[in-house]
Amino acid sequence: MKKEKNTQVNEESQEIERFNIIFRIQHVIMFTTFLLLAFTGWGLKYAELKDVSSWWIRIWGGPKTAGIIHRTAGITMLLDFAFHVIYVGYLLLTGRMKIRKETTVIPLPKDVVDVVHNFLYFIGIAKTKPKFGRFSYAQKFDYWAVFWGMFVIGISGLCLAFPVQASIFFPEWTTAWIWQLIAVMHSDEALLAIVFILFWHFYNEHLKPEVFPMSWVWLTGRISLKEMKQKHPLEYELMIKEKSE
Amino acid sequence: MVKRISILFCFLLLLPVFAHAEDISGCIVCHNVMAGKIDFNGKVIDLNVDAKRFETSVHGAFACTECHERFHENPHVPPDSQVTPEVERLSEEVALKAKADPVALAACSKCHNEEYRDVIDSVHGKNIVEEGKSDGALCLDCHGSAHYITKSTDKDSPVNKWKVVDTCGRCHGKEELAKKYGIEANVMKSYFESFHGKKHILGHKRAPTCVNCHGYHAIKSKDDPTSPVFGTNKIKTCGKCHKGANKKFVAAITHKEPGPIPHYAEKGLIILTISVIAFTVLHVLLEAYSDLRDVLFRRRKEVEHEEGKEYSG
Repeated sequence: MKKEKNTQVNEESQEIERFNIIFRIQHVIMFTTFLLLAFTGWGLKYAELKDVSSWWIRIWGGPKTAGIIHRTAGITMLLDFAFHVIYVGYLLLTGRMKIRKETTVIPLPKDVVDVVHNFLYFIGIAKTKPKFGRFSYAQKFDYWAVFWGMFVIGISGLCLAFPVQASIFFPEWTTAWIWQLIAVMHSDEALLAIVFILFWHFYNEHLKPEVFPMSWVWLTGRISLKEMKQKHPLEYELMIKEKSE
Repeated sequence: MVKRISILFCFLLLLPVFAHAEDISGCIVCHNVMAGKIDFNGKVIDLNVDAKRFETSVHGAFACTECHERFHENPHVPPDSQVTPEVERLSEEVALKAKADPVALAACSKCHNEEYRDVIDSVHGKNIVEEGKSDGALCLDCHGSAHYITKSTDKDSPVNKWKVVDTCGRCHGKEELAKKYGIEANVMKSYFESFHGKKHILGHKRAPTCVNCHGYHAIKSKDDPTSPVFGTNKIKTCGKCHKGANKKFVAAITHKEPGPIPHYAEKGLIILTISVIAFTVLHVLLEAYSDLRDVLFRRRKEVEHEEGKEYSG
C-alpha cells in the first residue's frame, strides 16, 4: 500500500515539456520588444504632459533614439510574429502538431461555456472549476490578443514608420482621413494592449497565488504532471489515454 | 522740506552711477528708472527701458535716436527732428500697429529692408496696410520689444525653435480671431496632437514647427497660390524632409478637424478598449477573490481531508 503511494507521488512530480525551446525564444523576443515598444511609445502618446514625458524620453536616449528603438523593436516583433505563424504552419503540415479539441488554441464553443462556468465558480455558485484543455479560455484570449495587436498596431505602425511608401498603397479617396485613422488605431490599441497585459497576463502568470511570483514555464518550458492534472485536466486525460493505447 | 531736499540730494549723488551704466545717450538715465505706465492717446504704454537687457540685446549699441528718429538727445526739445523719408512713409502705413512711436516701428526697415518688405507683402502685412486692421503681426508681435531682441537662436528669443509655436499660438490659438478671418481654429490643437507636434514637445530637433511648413516673414494664406502649403506646393514643402513625397502623401498633414470616419473609428476603438478592460478587470478581481477564498478556506479543508485519509489509510 505504502509503496504504491510513493510511485504515485513520483509520477506527480514528474515533468513534461509544455513549450519547446523555439517557442520559448519566440516568447522572450515578444515580451522584450513589447516592453521596449510600450516604454518608448508611452512618452510620445502622452507628449502633452511635457515635463514628465520629455524626462521619460530622455531616459530612452532622447526623442530621436527613442524613435529608433521603437521602430527597431517593432520590426523585430513583427518578424518574430511572422516566424511564429510560419513555424506553427510547419508543425501542422508535417504532422508534428495536430488540431484536437483538447489541445488546440483555436477558440471553441466550449470556451464560452467555460467562461460562464468559471464566473459561477468565482462567485461560489459552481463548486468545481471548469476542466480546461491544453489552453484555457484565458490563455486563448491572451494568445489571440497578440494576433489582433499585430494586425491593428503592427500594420498601422508600419504605415507610420514609412509614411511616404505607405501612401502609395492608399487609394486617392482615403487620403483625407486614413492617416488620422492610422494614428488613432496605433495609439488606442497600444494602450489597450498595455492595460490588457498589465491586468490579465500579470494576474494569471505572476500574481495568482499558485504561480507567485511568476510561472516558470516561460523559462523551463516544463510543467509537472500534478500541475497539468490540475490546470489542464483534459489534455492530461488525453495524454494518458494515448499512452495506454 | 529739508527731508525732500535731502532725498533729491541723494538722487543727484546717484546720477553719475546711472550715467555710468550706459554710454549710449542721456535718455536712459531717466527711462531706466520709470515705474508704472502712462496713458498715451488712449493707449497704456510703459516708458521704462531695462538698460541691462537693452545693452545685451542685438541692438544694444544703438543710440535711442537711431530708431526714435523724431526725438532729440535733449529732452527739453519737442520731438520734431527730420525723419528719413522712407521711414516717414512706412511709419504712416504701420501707424496703427505702433503704441507710441510709429517712426521707431518703421525704422526697422533701415537695416532689415528685405524682411520688412516680405512682411508688408505677407498675409500679416496686408491685413495692416491694405485692410487697415491691427490684427496682422508686425516685427514686435513676434520678436518682442525692439529694446530686448536677441538672436533667433537665443534661448529666450520668442522666435527660437522651442518658443516659436507658442508665439504663433498667441494669435492663432484664439478662437475669435479664427472666426473673424474664417481661418482654421484647430491649428494649435491639431499640431500638438500630430506626430510633428508631439516630437517637438519632446525636444526632437528635426521636428518641424509652424515656420518650417508655412514660412515666416513672407507668410501667405493657405489659399494664396504662392503659399508653401497651397495645393501641390505641399509636395515640395513636405519633400524637404520626406523624400519622395507625392500628392497622396501630402494629404496626411492637415489642421482640419478629423472627418467622420476617424472620429467614429476612434469612438468604436474606445468602446472596444473600455469593454475589454472592464471584462479583464472584472474577471481578474473575481478570480483573485476566488483564489484567495480557496487558499484561505477551501485548500485547508482539502489538506485536512487528505491528511485524514492518509492516517486512516
